[in-house]
Amino acid sequence: MSTDSKLKESRFVALASIAAELHSVMAVAKGVSLAAKNAKYISAQAGENALGFQPITDFIDEISQQAITGVNSINEAALKLSKIAVYEQRSCNAYQRFNLVYTKHKNANHIKSLSDTMIRVEDKMETTSKKYKHRLNELVELLESMDECMRSAQSIASVSRIVTSSSNEYQAKLEIVANSLDEAAKFIKEKVSGSYHHLNHIKAYSNG
Amino acid sequence: MKSTKIYDNGHQWFMFGRDPEKPESIIDTNQYMIVTDERALLMDPGGIEVFAPMLGAILHHANVEHITDLFASHQDPDIISSLGLWDQALPHAKLHAPWIWESFLRHFGMENIQYVGIPDEGSEINLGTVNLKFIPAHYLHASGNYHVYDPKARILMSGDVGAALESDQSPIFVDDFEEHIPKMKMFHQRWMPSNRAKNDWIKRVRELEIDYLAPQHGRIFKGENVTKFLDWFEALEVGTAIAS
Ligand SMILES: [Fe+2]
Ligand SMILES: [Fe+2]
Repeated sequence: MSTDSKLKESRFVALASIAAELHSVMAVAKGVSLAAKNAKYISAQAGENALGFQPITDFIDEISQQAITGVNSINEAALKLSKIAVYEQRSCNAYQRFNLVYTKHKNANHIKSLSDTMIRVEDKMETTSKKYKHRLNELVELLESMDECMRSAQSIASVSRIVTSSSNEYQAKLEIVANSLDEAAKFIKEKVSGSYHHLNHIKAYSNG
Repeated sequence: MKSTKIYDNGHQWFMFGRDPEKPESIIDTNQYMIVTDERALLMDPGGIEVFAPMLGAILHHANVEHITDLFASHQDPDIISSLGLWDQALPHAKLHAPWIWESFLRHFGMENIQYVGIPDEGSEINLGTVNLKFIPAHYLHASGNYHVYDPKARILMSGDVGAALESDQSPIFVDDFEEHIPKMKMFHQRWMPSNRAKNDWIKRVRELEIDYLAPQHGRIFKGENVTKFLDWFEALEVGTAIAS
C-alpha cells in the first residue's frame, strides 16, 4: 500500500475529473439523439423516397442512447470508486497513526493491546483494497465499451455519407445528422481518452 | 504528550496535554481519562492532530480495549475531530455527547462507535466503581454542552469553562489566581455567549463539592481557587462581541 499522500490526493481529483470530463459528453449525446429523432420523423414522412435512410437514423439514435447510458454508468462507477477510496484512505490514515504509536511507544505498559486493533484494521484495508480493484476494473471496462461504441458511431457516419450520395431529396438532412454524429463521436472519444489519462494516475496508486 | 495522574483512590483521573510535538498553530488542549478496574472513559479526546500522541500516552496507563466510553462536552474540532480515528481504534466504544450534535458529529466519520445522546437535563454513567454525572452547561459555550462531575473524586471536568490561553509549557495547576485572570478574561468574554446561562451554571455548580475544576485549555483550579474562579466568572460580563 502506498503511503504517498500526494498520490492519494490526486486519486480523488482524478476520479472527480473523469466524472467532469464525461459530464460534457451527456449534452453532446443528447444533441445527437435529438437530431436522429428528427431525421427519423422526416424519413417516416418521406416514405419510400427515404428507404435506406431509416435504418441508419435508427442506428444513430440507438448509439446516442448507448452513449447516454454509458456516461451515466461511468459517472456512477467513478463515484462508487471515489467513496471506496475515501473509506480506504480513512483506514489507512488510522493505521499509519497506530503504527506511529507502536514504534514510538514500544515501552508503554499496554502497547501489546494495540496489535489486535492493527490486525483488524489491516484486514479491513485488504478487503477494501480488493473491492477497490474490482470497481476500478469495472470502470476501465465501461470506458472501453464507450470507446468501442464511438468507433462504430464513426463507421455509421461514413456509411451514411455513402447512402446520402444516392438519395438526393434527403441528402442534406442526413448529411447534417451524419456530420453531427461524426463530430460527437470524435468529441466523446477525446473525452474518453482524457479519462484514460486520469485513470493512469489512479492505477499508479493501486499498483504502488 | 505529557500525562499527569491527578487523582488515585479506588479509581484514577489522568490529564493529558502540553504536547511538545504539537504544531504551534493549533490550540493546546487538555484531555482527561477516568480509569476504573473494568472500564475507562476518555473525555474531550481532542483533535486529529493529537490522536497519535494521545493514544500513545494512554497506552502507558490502560489497554486499548479498556477504553469503553468516550465523552464529548460539545462539537468543536479541538474536542472531538479525532472521532473518525477513535472509530477505527475502538469500534465497540460508546460516545456520550449532546443529543443535539449527533447528526453534526457524524460528519467526522463514525461507523462503529455507538452514539449515546445526552438529554438536555443531563444524565449519569456508571463505570463500575464510580458513578459520574453529565451536568448541563448549555451555551457555555455551545448550544448543547455538558461537564463531567465525579462526586467521589470531587472533580468537575468543565470543558471550555475555566479555559486559559497560554504557553503549552505552563504548569498544570493555577498557583496565583490574580495572575491567571488576564489569560482567561478575553476567552470567556468572547467565547461565552450568555450571561443568563453563565449565572445559572454558577448557581448549580456552587452546590457541588469540588476540589478540582479541570478545564479543556489552560490550568486546573484547585481548592480555594475554584471558588475564586466562580466569583470572578459571576462578575464577568460575557458575550462581548455585541455592543450593549
Ligand atoms: Fe469549544
Ligand atoms: Fe476548546
